[in-house]
Amino acid sequence: MTATRELIDTLVECATPVQRLRPPLVRAMLWLVVAGLVIALIVMGHGLRPDLALRLHQPAFAITTAAALATGILSAIAAFVISLPDRSRWWLLLPMPALAVWISTIGYGCLTDWVSLGPEGVRFGEELRCFSILVLTSVPLTIALAVMLRYAAMLRAGAVATTGGLAIAAITASALPLFHSHDATAMILIWNLGTALLITGITSVFGRRLFGLLATRLLASGTQL
Amino acid sequence: MSPGPRGRRSSLTLVASSADAPVGIERNTNRARDWSGLMARAQDGDRHAYRALLEDMTPYLRTLAARCFREPSDAEDAVQDVLLTVHAVRHTYDPGRPFGPWLVAIANRRIVDRLRRHIRARSREIELSSEHETFSPDAANFQFEDTSADSAALHAAIATLAPDQRLAINLIKLKEMSLKEAALASGRSVSALKVATHRAIKSLRKRLRQSSETP
Repeated sequence: MTATRELIDTLVECATPVQRLRPPLVRAMLWLVVAGLVIALIVMGHGLRPDLALRLHQPAFAITTAAALATGILSAIAAFVISLPDRSRWWLLLPMPALAVWISTIGYGCLTDWVSLGPEGVRFGEELRCFSILVLTSVPLTIALAVMLRYAAMLRAGAVATTGGLAIAAITASALPLFHSHDATAMILIWNLGTALLITGITSVFGRRLFGLLATRLLASGTQL
Repeated sequence: MSPGPRGRRSSLTLVASSADAPVGIERNTNRARDWSGLMARAQDGDRHAYRALLEDMTPYLRTLAARCFREPSDAEDAVQDVLLTVHAVRHTYDPGRPFGPWLVAIANRRIVDRLRRHIRARSREIELSSEHETFSPDAANFQFEDTSADSAALHAAIATLAPDQRLAINLIKLKEMSLKEAALASGRSVSALKVATHRAIKSLRKRLRQSSETP
């Protein structure tokens, strides 16, 4: 490492004007608009499930979807707020109430409707379609979030990756019932909690590595600029 | 600004000690306000302000780092880490908010990261002292009484080897060259050196065993 004085000289030489970040709430809303656009494009491509209007009148379905959506929105806000170095870690608790409602409604539906799972409930073609929707929704959202929060790589990589992963998972899980029409509770459980666990797990494991790579690049560009 | 007692959990704050509280707090508040203004100007591309800010906060960062590292060089490395991070994420500072918590959060993160790396390295590495150092030239190698007999026998056995095997043993085993280096030095191919070394060790083993069996 170069001596501190030389480092300061280098940093001052590289000190180009920078664009200040917009408030975290505004940036979270921007990301949610991107998420809305992605879902709208998929709706245009795949079409909505035929019985959506009917299902939305059923309280369990409406509460589960709304709770997943709320978890997604609140997690996104939390991720953008805690990505800033001087904000409190208590913001991590923001999505917890919505997350609790989401998980409890899935669990309740599971208990009451367990018998509705039949042997013919799983159809490979339908599952593949759902999986493609899951990938189509979560991949662009992950890329957008990683780009928007790249500076967090050097600050709170683990917490931001996990909260961001929860936001992506919850938004994806709230979008899935718009397209696929599985009523079997096991399917709901798999697609909701499974999606959440899978995406949160992947982002928290690989997010750290991705952020580690970003941190190295940011530091390198900081000295070379 | 003074470091807290070592026994307590050292939290990194931008506050003065109670002894010079009124003057200290006022001075630190002014300093934080100055730093906030300097950073706002630095974000707009004012290099003089940026230099003033970095130079002004370096002693403060040094004090924070010195609480956690015993070696001054480690503390200085941590300070440089913090400066690099401040530079890379300077766009995340909002001039409407206090500068102190922003800086301390970054410093805290970098110092803790470096401490972790330090502890990890210490758990798997041993610091070398001068006693651990070895050099291949003869002058640096002491001949102890208990090993000199073995050494003499080994050197006698090496002297009886075929010239190409002796050369291979000399370069690879005694001078501790890599195969590539030895190939460059001797002008032989790597595979020829490998074969010669293998054969040399085999015949050395045979000779040494014979000499130990015969009184």
